[in-house]
Amino acid sequence: MSPLLIALLGALLLPVFVGSWRMSLFGLALQGVILAAVAYPGLGPLRSAHAWLSLADLGLVRGVLVPLALYTVLRAQGAPARNDTIAPNLLSWTLTLGMVLAAFNLSNILVSDPGQEQTLVAIAVAGVLLGFLVLASAAGPFSQMVGVLRIENAIATLQLSRAHESCFALELAMLAVFVASVALFRWYLASLESHPAALRERPGERGATADPAAPDSLTL
Amino acid sequence: MNPLALVLLPTVLGFGLALRRVRERAHLLLVAAAVVGSLLAFSHAMMSSRELWLWGYMRLDATSRLFVVLINPIFLGVSWYVAGRLTATPALHSGFGRFAALALTFLGAANAAVLGNHLLVQWIALEITTLVAAPLIIRPGVASSRSASWHYLLFSSVGLGLVLLGFLCLDRGLQAAGHAPSYFIDQLAALELTGAGPWGNLGLSLVLLGLGTKLGLAPMYTWLPEAYAEAPPAVTALLGAVQFNATLVLLLRVLQVYRPINPSLVTNELLILGLASMVISAASIIATWNMKRLIAYAAINHAGVIAIGLALGKGATFGVLIYVISNAFIKAILFLTAGKIKAHYRTEDTREISGLIKDLPYSGVFLLVGTLALLGLPPFGSFFGELLILSALVSLGHLYVFAAFCVVITITFVATGRTFFPMIWGLPKKAHDWPRQTFLAVSPKAVFFVILVVLGLYIPPALSGLLERVAASLEGP
Repeated sequence: MSPLLIALLGALLLPVFVGSWRMSLFGLALQGVILAAVAYPGLGPLRSAHAWLSLADLGLVRGVLVPLALYTVLRAQGAPARNDTIAPNLLSWTLTLGMVLAAFNLSNILVSDPGQEQTLVAIAVAGVLLGFLVLASAAGPFSQMVGVLRIENAIATLQLSRAHESCFALELAMLAVFVASVALFRWYLASLESHPAALRERPGERGATADPAAPDSLTL
Repeated sequence: MNPLALVLLPTVLGFGLALRRVRERAHLLLVAAAVVGSLLAFSHAMMSSRELWLWGYMRLDATSRLFVVLINPIFLGVSWYVAGRLTATPALHSGFGRFAALALTFLGAANAAVLGNHLLVQWIALEITTLVAAPLIIRPGVASSRSASWHYLLFSSVGLGLVLLGFLCLDRGLQAAGHAPSYFIDQLAALELTGAGPWGNLGLSLVLLGLGTKLGLAPMYTWLPEAYAEAPPAVTALLGAVQFNATLVLLLRVLQVYRPINPSLVTNELLILGLASMVISAASIIATWNMKRLIAYAAINHAGVIAIGLALGKGATFGVLIYVISNAFIKAILFLTAGKIKAHYRTEDTREISGLIKDLPYSGVFLLVGTLALLGLPPFGSFFGELLILSALVSLGHLYVFAAFCVVITITFVATGRTFFPMIWGLPKKAHDWPRQTFLAVSPKAVFFVILVVLGLYIPPALSGLLERVAASLEGP
């Protein structure tokens, strides 16, 4: 396994064990930068528009802009440093390591030849599984966002070893959709944290009016 | 005319609403765009033209013709309803430009998802419908709608992420099988794929799970009752009747192309997702007294029935399509009516609402008809659709599923009737206060009602031919 791929696995695992939102964002940033480095070792000559787009997607958007966008919101809100993405106990940690092992076993089935491709697939599968673990453990919007972004990064990892490229406009559209999603995430992070009541309320499951003060006559 | 107009017209008008002068006439623009869109959809469905457009990225075949003709008129009905609300309540004008802009962009993207001949184009279009629908769910001043909107975006992102992951795996599977990788549906169909390696099986499972999430199927369905209950009625109708069908088209495309690589995996996964959704829906309907949530749980039940029908393939596909069309109109009628009832009674608690047929006669009739259709009673399309699906379950030997289906549907029937019929026929709990219901506000529901009844009694030959062609494309091996 190459040092870059070991670093990528470390970037996946470290934030799970360190309960801090700064570490979660650092992990996401690190994943983006390492993915860019894996895609273009030594940042060699970039001749095609596709290559520039991939580099912008991995290195700039995932590595810098996305973590920065969420960081500025949390910093402005003065969020407490501690933020566990998974429950801090032995069971969760065992589950985490078990998932990584399962991912490597699955990649043995999917890619028969050992090498970089097999490891990339294993890391992508581990990324998806850990993303789901974070989603299943998280109650707050920030940790949920981290879970989704982990899955998005895992998809980008798998894309590194895909069979063919789509047309440039489609790749650009997919990047635009990702950026728009993150912009919306940022907006929700700012707005949900400033309206904590929205997260506490679980409107009338048994029936009572969801929000008696709701101006229904003014709803389309 | 180029079908691209169905995508570009609403999208350009949606962006055009950024201009203040245009924004002042947003309601007119919304209805005008919906009218033109519906006319275009009908013209494309009726007239024969070449199949591939825009360098092969768009396709006008039986499937896309059927669904553009379904979602555009429903969007028109919802726009008409919204214009009616605006006429009756001028205070709604503030902020309406934003609604119209997002709704038009939503329509353009939904049309792109239906017309796409490329799996990634359809995926991008569905993502756009999600991104523009999320802010629409938020009701000003209602904190819980903000949370519902976030959960909708969260689950949709996860679901669509799984779909993309599945597409990448299927692409790898094609490469492993020695085929030229492609996302073009017509090219994939021409390959006549058979047999799946590990990549193919993994990809197919992920795509079905991801699309199931977007359709509100178990296990990742919890966003649906929350979002449907919290969103404004017009938005709920758009989510339930337009976005649901745009997502369904992507599922149909996947089945048309990839079912042959592992038919038993498709059947088993869809049967499990469908049956689990029906069971969860029945239990939730029993437990809830919240009107909009109850309709939302019934929508999960309908999604489950559709999944079971699609799982079967041969023999059930015609029934599924009738069910899908009927389901779209039922959801539109019920959610728009629920909005009216909530606005009148200022509660969603079904125990607090009684005597609708006397208190709000139009809404009472719409709720009655919608409930009967929801429960799958004759003469509605939902009845015939369910009958054909049940018949296919027996003929294909899925007797345990048949038995479970019958038990769950009976429980759903009793639980829904127990809640809704007293609302309609019970004694009014408050003095009659007949609010003025404008023609604009009532007419879309009335038109949906007429279409629902007519399609239950008679399917025009043109529509029947279209349904048969789509059904044939879904039958599988």
